[in-house]
Amino acid sequence: MMKFPLRTVATFVVAFSCLSVCPSLCAASGVPTTPAPPSVETATIPGPLRSFLRMAAVSQKVPAPDVMPLLARNIFMQGYQRGNPTEYLLLLGRYVQQARELQILAGSTNAIHVSNCDDAGTLVQILGYRLREGCGSKNFFLETANPERAFLTIDSGFPLTDLEEALQKGVAFDYPYAPSRVPVLFKESDWTTLSAGQKKGYVNLVDQLINDPGVARLYWAMTKIDTETRVALLRSPGLRRLLPTAAALDFYGSQISIRGGRVVVPGGAWTQVTWRDLVGASPDNPSEFVPRLLAKDNGWLAAYFDVLSRVNESQREHLVENGRLKRFYEDLRGSDIEPPATRGVFRQAPDLLVLFTRVEWEANGEPHVPGNLDVWKQIVRQKTDSKTIKDYNKRVRGLDHPEQLLDAMVAYSRVVTDVGPLQIYLTMCELDKGRVPDKRMSPETVSLLASNYAQFNNWFLVFSEFPDLTDESATRFVNVGDSIDKISNETLRGNTLGSLQANIGLWQILARQGQIPTAQLNSSWQKMIDPFAKITSSTQLFDAARGSLGVLLAAAAPSNGSSVDIVELLAGPRQDTPDGQRVHQELARRIRSVLEDQHLVSLETLFALSDGLSEMSQGKPANSSLITLAGELREFEMPRPIFTQSEKIDWAPRVYTSHHAELQIQTDLTKVMKAPGTRAQLEAARGQLVPFLRDTLVGLNYAYFEPPGAQILHNNPLFVRSHDFTEISVVGTEQFWQTPMLLGVGSPAGGGAYLMGSLTDLSYALAMTEQDFIAPENVQALIWKELVPDLLVSATLPRWWTVSPHELHAVALYQRNGEELLAASTKDPQLRAKVISILSDRMMPARLERAELALQHEEDLAALIPRMMPADTFYLAETFRRKYPGEAVSVGPAGQQLEDLSRQYPTEVSWEKISKDFGVPHPTMARTNSRELLNVKPFPFFGGYSSRLFGESWESTNLYWARLADELGYPPVMLNRLVPELTRHMTAKIFATDLEDWPAMLRAMQEAGDELRQGKIAPLPSTSTTAQRQDQPVKEANTP
Amino acid sequence: MKKYFLLLCLLAIPFSGGGAGAAAQDDASRIRVSVVLVQLNVAVTDNKGNYISGLGPEDFAITEDKIPEKTATFEEGNGPTRRLMQVGPGGKGFTEVTEKAGDPTSLEPSKKFAGANVFILFDTSNYMYRGFVFAQDAIADFIRSLEGVSQVALYSYSRDLSKVAPLTPDRSQVLRGVRSTVAGDDAALYNGLLLTVKDAARLTGRKAIVVFSNGPDNASLVPPEDVAELAQSTGTIIYMISTQAAESEPVSTAVFERMSKATGGKAYFSKGWQDEKQAFASIRDDLAHLYAISYYPAPNSNRGWRSISVKLVGKNLQKYRIRTRAGYRLLQTAQASQSMEESALAAKP
Repeated sequence: MMKFPLRTVATFVVAFSCLSVCPSLCAASGVPTTPAPPSVETATIPGPLRSFLRMAAVSQKVPAPDVMPLLARNIFMQGYQRGNPTEYLLLLGRYVQQARELQILAGSTNAIHVSNCDDAGTLVQILGYRLREGCGSKNFFLETANPERAFLTIDSGFPLTDLEEALQKGVAFDYPYAPSRVPVLFKESDWTTLSAGQKKGYVNLVDQLINDPGVARLYWAMTKIDTETRVALLRSPGLRRLLPTAAALDFYGSQISIRGGRVVVPGGAWTQVTWRDLVGASPDNPSEFVPRLLAKDNGWLAAYFDVLSRVNESQREHLVENGRLKRFYEDLRGSDIEPPATRGVFRQAPDLLVLFTRVEWEANGEPHVPGNLDVWKQIVRQKTDSKTIKDYNKRVRGLDHPEQLLDAMVAYSRVVTDVGPLQIYLTMCELDKGRVPDKRMSPETVSLLASNYAQFNNWFLVFSEFPDLTDESATRFVNVGDSIDKISNETLRGNTLGSLQANIGLWQILARQGQIPTAQLNSSWQKMIDPFAKITSSTQLFDAARGSLGVLLAAAAPSNGSSVDIVELLAGPRQDTPDGQRVHQELARRIRSVLEDQHLVSLETLFALSDGLSEMSQGKPANSSLITLAGELREFEMPRPIFTQSEKIDWAPRVYTSHHAELQIQTDLTKVMKAPGTRAQLEAARGQLVPFLRDTLVGLNYAYFEPPGAQILHNNPLFVRSHDFTEISVVGTEQFWQTPMLLGVGSPAGGGAYLMGSLTDLSYALAMTEQDFIAPENVQALIWKELVPDLLVSATLPRWWTVSPHELHAVALYQRNGEELLAASTKDPQLRAKVISILSDRMMPARLERAELALQHEEDLAALIPRMMPADTFYLAETFRRKYPGEAVSVGPAGQQLEDLSRQYPTEVSWEKISKDFGVPHPTMARTNSRELLNVKPFPFFGGYSSRLFGESWESTNLYWARLADELGYPPVMLNRLVPELTRHMTAKIFATDLEDWPAMLRAMQEAGDELRQGKIAPLPSTSTTAQRQDQPVKEANTP
Repeated sequence: MKKYFLLLCLLAIPFSGGGAGAAAQDDASRIRVSVVLVQLNVAVTDNKGNYISGLGPEDFAITEDKIPEKTATFEEGNGPTRRLMQVGPGGKGFTEVTEKAGDPTSLEPSKKFAGANVFILFDTSNYMYRGFVFAQDAIADFIRSLEGVSQVALYSYSRDLSKVAPLTPDRSQVLRGVRSTVAGDDAALYNGLLLTVKDAARLTGRKAIVVFSNGPDNASLVPPEDVAELAQSTGTIIYMISTQAAESEPVSTAVFERMSKATGGKAYFSKGWQDEKQAFASIRDDLAHLYAISYYPAPNSNRGWRSISVKLVGKNLQKYRIRTRAGYRLLQTAQASQSMEESALAAKP
């Protein structure tokens, strides 16, 4: 099918959808060919379903009931641009026409039959081809006659080669060509009678959807709603009345749920009156309540309803009490309902969902205030260009109570920015979250960080990840950062930024891996950054960077003295088991391979050269080994040029040149050594080592976060050297401390892609860079850019050195116990109610409804289990055990084993430990790179910096890999090797139709897991006693 | 001595293109030695472009960084591989090595060097949209026309690489692959080419990549320089087949011409996709007439780029032109090992 720049389109058009809640989109199997049940209304699609799916840009793996919803979704998302049909839609329309012609040719037998070459004329003509050389000739082939038709033939996957070969051999060609019937929501006529004017008059739903994007959007929106609700809505107010609010229903309607003739409102029954007042209709009257909710205030009330419905129950209780429900909406609505909440292609106000999900409550029920209110008075009064903030501040002057602070934050959530007061508030709350009450940030620190937020905000994640870092540490960081920004020499500033940030990166890695003792985290941090406080020369910078590195190495390996190997440290803590040592060596080898392929000079060489030059400046002669070492600096060569210099100037946009690398090539220390130079010259020569040192330190960071399947790191030796720390690539930007951007893409004369910005969030930047080198196994890998980087980060940022076999086994048992609970609930209505109640905090209404239905019929259980996200079954078991102690034990052996294991190893089996080891980083949602399993429903897709929220809410992968590893008997350390490899394979298998296609993720994950089981993935070192390892925890767990 | 030579050849197989070779076990019967076998594909033509055949190893003089090199193997077109030992005064003569049947160190020429392996890389990006079906026809014609080629693979690229048909002797499978390609998305030619070169690099013998593309690249992360170097270092010939549409974009034209030339291949720009017969014939002839010459580099302290020069010996031959790769860079072991690891993965059942 025509693969229009799907990802490009996707980035700005896909925020609408929510595939995971589509009627049956959770099914993981291939396209079913069985006819739909007679009771289900169906619509006809001409030709084979496979061909239609290709042309409609729908995954081949979706079940039949999902075909029409996804077709509708694609039509309104990709089918029109400024009211005009796109190429996608034109091709789809043409294909339908061609398929109908072929259908006629197939006749009543529903099969295209061509008995021989002379009989093929009509078919070949419809297909847009002709017979070259004519029938019977030796060089008989098919060739294009009508490119428009031929394109459709190819794009739809018609078996042209089969036809060609049959004609060549003189045998008959037979091709089944039956029309496909797929289920329709309600009745086909419900939709075909909706349109007005020129768009009406179609009797086939496919034609109707193609020609009316409004109807297509309503169709898509309705499929995301649970069955009971949409049947109620169909009855009243009816589709025609809902049609004008299709956008709001699409964005914010999936949480609307009608049960027993009433709308289930977020907050519970006691909030019904407030909702009635807000909406202007009673929830008891859905036919009035729903359309009014959707239409009210340009969709803002629907957006508010949706957000409140998405947060978990305990958060929601806070958010609706004490008059907050109504007040917060008034805050959000403000005095201006423009722009509408339904404008554009993305949902609005992403940070309202983050705020409501993450806001912390004090014991007295008030929202947490980082620092104090006086500080926030300053923060919210800071100069702003935002009309929303100005209007709110004019309207509401007081900020004397924590409630008022939260009011302001709700109001600010409509502001499109990533550095406003709300973002500061969210970050400061997260910084405080990990700290004990008496160690929370002082008002002065909050003020300092807030005033420097625009510059350093991405680095504040370090302080939320490591709450042991004190206010003083944060203050020193800001001050050092400020002083570096003031370095006027751009080259020196770039090298200083790179060296400091690289050392901080190394510190984070070692701290995250537990190699820097907790007691030394704060002191080592301060000692590490202090040397960079006043840099005035390259020589001084070299000493500062070296000294700083020495501090963190000493903290991480105090017993090794000066002989510590940084690569060995980065590869993980020392291992005592053969498996651990093997994996450790493997990771060290991978790091070294990146350093080698980037032609980076070793730290040993650089330090030896520096020491030698220092000794020479004190009068000692140069020895031959020093000159040999100096020769190593010259081993790096620029790639052989393809373009002349003038061609580069003409053809490459004004991007960062390889100035930094070229300077290194010109560096020749042998001259000053042989001369020998003066003391000043020798000292200056030490300064010339700085670019090399910076690159090696930066390269260590790059190498550590190497994504699986990386190619740039191994094939573009300029990649690390080209990192643009001072942002000279783009005139006018000075965001030295921001997350790195990928530049130089698609510029053949520009020397290759590189990163510009700081080293914060490097794992994500590298994942963004390398993702396109994972060759997809399927054509439709639409969610690549929006999801794959987060997926890769969850495999490259964490390590699993501290996971014990008991913990690994517990992760598997939780998931199995979750499945046991589901199975047991099929026979026990009371248990089922508990299960559904727990899952309601994680599953969207439509998906929850289907799970509930499946649990009512034991025969449906087998189909349900594989569709459950591992994070859901894990959460179900954990929550159930907590809420109903002892009850989970009786439902199955996994429950019993888990109970036993938990009794023996309470810490290893605890939610906290597993969450920390198998959760994913949430840098956007939780402003930290700490791993955590969050109890949230899948986040929808948002635009801008919030787009990562969507990927961060996918938490199932590592839990699933852990279960696999446990079941196959791998020791926990093997996860360090397995997880990246499995994630790479999973990525290649993604076959999705839209961005929020969680079922496609689940399918890809399970397929990768199946390949591991079948031995098709990863030549993993054999584990010594696989069976023993697998049995051991169980045995132990069974031991009273 | 013969055995020693053959052992070297065998050991060099993983990186016949010039990368770091493997090391034999150090036991009583074998010699521990690090080897690097450099394999050159050399086209010799007259001034009209006609191929000159019938030359022997003694007609070629090879230097690497101006250091004379001794030819180890020699093969003309699809003929058998001749293993050589230099003999005579100054080592200027050659004698063929006789390989004993059943000798475990013996290479099997028919398996190792007979015919070329051809990777077709098809641009299926938006840039090809209008001429997509005609390009498919052209590729199908090209595949049908390939003679003397052992195996063919079909890859396509847009933003990502798609391995449509793996390397196979079954042309029908590849033709089906051609008709199954789909069009659309951004163009990352050099990303796709890099991955294709890496797959080709694993193979011994003559290997060529034939790119069908209209040119523009708006999504690659690697520059063409890196791809060209890797292709040269692994002895992979790149042919570019394009249309005059590509000539409207000088960047692509320049890269196509220079990259193919640097690897010993050629670039073709025809009027349209329906008019590529001449290019196909030229590539076919090229693959059939290339001299495959290999040598073990003489000691050379240069660990960077090594320039290769191939000249014809004798006055009578000076009128002919030579086309081969310009040099190679010693591959990093890391790249090599990664490549091997991926290969091992692919080999799993």
